[in-house]
Amino acid sequence: MIPELGHISLITHLILSLFAGTVPLAGLFLGRQSFLLHIERFSLILFSLITVSFLCLVYSFLMDDFSVAYVAQNSNINLPYYFKFAATWGAHEGSLVFWILAMNAWLIGFTFLTKSKDKKFSQLVFSISCQVMFAFTLFTLFTSNPFERILPVPPLNGSDLNPSLQDIAFTVHPPLLYLGYSGLLIPFAIAVAAMLFQTETRVWASYARPWALLSCGFLTLGIALGSWWAYYELGWGGWWFWDPVENAAFVPWLLSVALFHSLITSQNRGLFGKWSVLLSIFAFATSLLGTFLVRSGILTSVHAFALDPERGVFILAILAFFIIGSLTIYSVKDFAKTSSNTTYTLTSKEFGFLLNNLLLVILAISILFGTIFPLIYESITAGKKISVGAPYFEAVLFPFALALGALQGLALFLGWGKTTSFTFLKRLILESASIFILVLLILFILFDNLYLNSFVIIFLATWIAAGTLQFGKIGSKDYFKIIQRRSAVIFAHVGMAILTLGIAVVTNYSLEKEILLAKGDSYQIEELDVSFDSIEDSVGPNYLSKLAKVSFTEGSSTKQVIAEKRTYFPSGQPTTEAGIETEVFKDLYVSMGDNLEADIWSFKVQVKPFIRWIWLGALLIAIGTIISGVRLTRRL
Amino acid sequence: MNPIRKQRLYALIAILIGSLLATWLVTSALSENMNLFYSPTEIKVANLDNEILVRAGGMVKEGSIIRDTDSLNVTFTVTDYQNELIIKYEGILPDLFDENAGVVVRGNLNTDGTFTAIEVLAKHDENYMPPEVAEMLIEEK
Repeated sequence: MIPELGHISLITHLILSLFAGTVPLAGLFLGRQSFLLHIERFSLILFSLITVSFLCLVYSFLMDDFSVAYVAQNSNINLPYYFKFAATWGAHEGSLVFWILAMNAWLIGFTFLTKSKDKKFSQLVFSISCQVMFAFTLFTLFTSNPFERILPVPPLNGSDLNPSLQDIAFTVHPPLLYLGYSGLLIPFAIAVAAMLFQTETRVWASYARPWALLSCGFLTLGIALGSWWAYYELGWGGWWFWDPVENAAFVPWLLSVALFHSLITSQNRGLFGKWSVLLSIFAFATSLLGTFLVRSGILTSVHAFALDPERGVFILAILAFFIIGSLTIYSVKDFAKTSSNTTYTLTSKEFGFLLNNLLLVILAISILFGTIFPLIYESITAGKKISVGAPYFEAVLFPFALALGALQGLALFLGWGKTTSFTFLKRLILESASIFILVLLILFILFDNLYLNSFVIIFLATWIAAGTLQFGKIGSKDYFKIIQRRSAVIFAHVGMAILTLGIAVVTNYSLEKEILLAKGDSYQIEELDVSFDSIEDSVGPNYLSKLAKVSFTEGSSTKQVIAEKRTYFPSGQPTTEAGIETEVFKDLYVSMGDNLEADIWSFKVQVKPFIRWIWLGALLIAIGTIISGVRLTRRL
Repeated sequence: MNPIRKQRLYALIAILIGSLLATWLVTSALSENMNLFYSPTEIKVANLDNEILVRAGGMVKEGSIIRDTDSLNVTFTVTDYQNELIIKYEGILPDLFDENAGVVVRGNLNTDGTFTAIEVLAKHDENYMPPEVAEMLIEEK
């Protein structure tokens, strides 16, 4: 009964979102007041419906109802209850329900917080959002129904959740990412409404900005968690692989960063109105495109969703409808009128934002291009298959990162219209140079080595840091108040500096070695002594495992970690759990390879300096953008 | 020039320079980092340059995995059920690497017709087949 309740609830959501997506729209354009809805109440109803659906699915997982096909495919009696819970969004069908839930949550946020004086505007935004939610619900019900039953003979046990997903980071990574993706719906709907009503740029930009910031914050958290998860769960010790799925998240992230920066200019100066509309459309579109690429199976990726070309076509149709629709409005409506006639020069903040946006957008396009190029190549050469490797993306990213970083260090000092004084430059150069030397000194003390290759990026990091910190001090009469007022931008920009430093160091200072060790033997990597102490069998709730105790000895300190090789018994699938010793400046990392003979195993041993700084930086960026977003919602 | 037109000119020049640089960057990076995929049958007739990095793939032949016991060297044979290709690799194989599983390798062809891999790919999911291999098997069966 419970799955049917969830199913019915989802169908009701479909019908009501269609109603809400069309009737107020008709009301607005036919001038019928009676067609307008009480949107606060209506959004609560829609939210309750999808919540019921979602909870029914959770219930089916927790109760091991294997007559539900989705549960049977993604759960198992022996799966611990918290993973049963997380399995709800662990595969395609359930993740869509979560996605719709997340869109509803954002929409509630919008309807309750954007106390727009313009009631009609809110009605329109609500209606457009409901159209998107209708499309998603339709897609879910017709191609990916999570409540489908296996009747009359349901399986006695499920085939289990993919073992590499049975992990704490994984339980939170997808929801955060989906929150980020789905949040981009709100700026999109606001942008479309702004075109239709020819709303003044400053006004609609102030509505859209908090939601763009919040989605960016959640996207950042989601991507960072995914990166951390891949680091310890896949046993490769890398943190970014330029896999199509990662790129599918990175591209909307870049565009959301461009968007909220562009919206600052739109809100404060009434400029870049059309550009901000386009960015809102494409940030939203690329978040859908990512879904299409991943779920249709047309790109080779390590993320294996159950693939179905029919789904791909459906998502493509949704994508086409909303892109073509919004671009048609874009081309026929005369909008982005601004009351002010502000002008800017080459030294202005406006021009800084223009360059920032240009760089971010061109970078996003280049990455998207590299990601889908195998498809283009295959279709023009009649079936020849290629892959585009990580070196492509690195080569493209590097110059853009340089330019963006150089700009970022200066950007906060630029003034609207034009920058009147450049006295900050001298201090900026001095401060960044001294931090740079300090960082090099620390690196030299820590690792006895300096790599010329890393200098440029390390300097970039110190340049950004110095620029941000110095900005924090400008006009400091009441130091505390200024820091408080600027904390968001300081968090986010310092986060970027820390992230950059982390990347520079981990890329140049990492050690990596694949070795064979017999029990009791040890191996020397530079000053690090790695010894394989013991191996034992162990049993988990739904897996058997081999535990290897490995010690790292450096000078007089010895630390033991446990690396693990698991075999999950429902599926027989193996996973590798790395043993990691985390220190402030480096991680010592060991993962198990194969058992070659009795007690001889292969191991991958790695030293990863500053790798935590990458995720710490990302966390600060997320905190900064979320603080800023939350603050701006209060001012709505 | 009036300030508004001047402003547009700045934007236009920035966009122009940006896109030109990006185009140059993308094409040069792409031409160096594109790896073509070959099945064992295709690799036989392709007459490949030994220097070029390519990708190859197929099913791992049963009983073909030979590991060294005192090093990380391993050889195995991939097949498309018409032709076979011997792959040499030094390193740890991915978790899901197994007999009768689809794999994709990246590396270069040796003069003796064997293939030296610098990377062996298998996927997160045991039921998952690399699309290249899946399509190859459908085409050639």
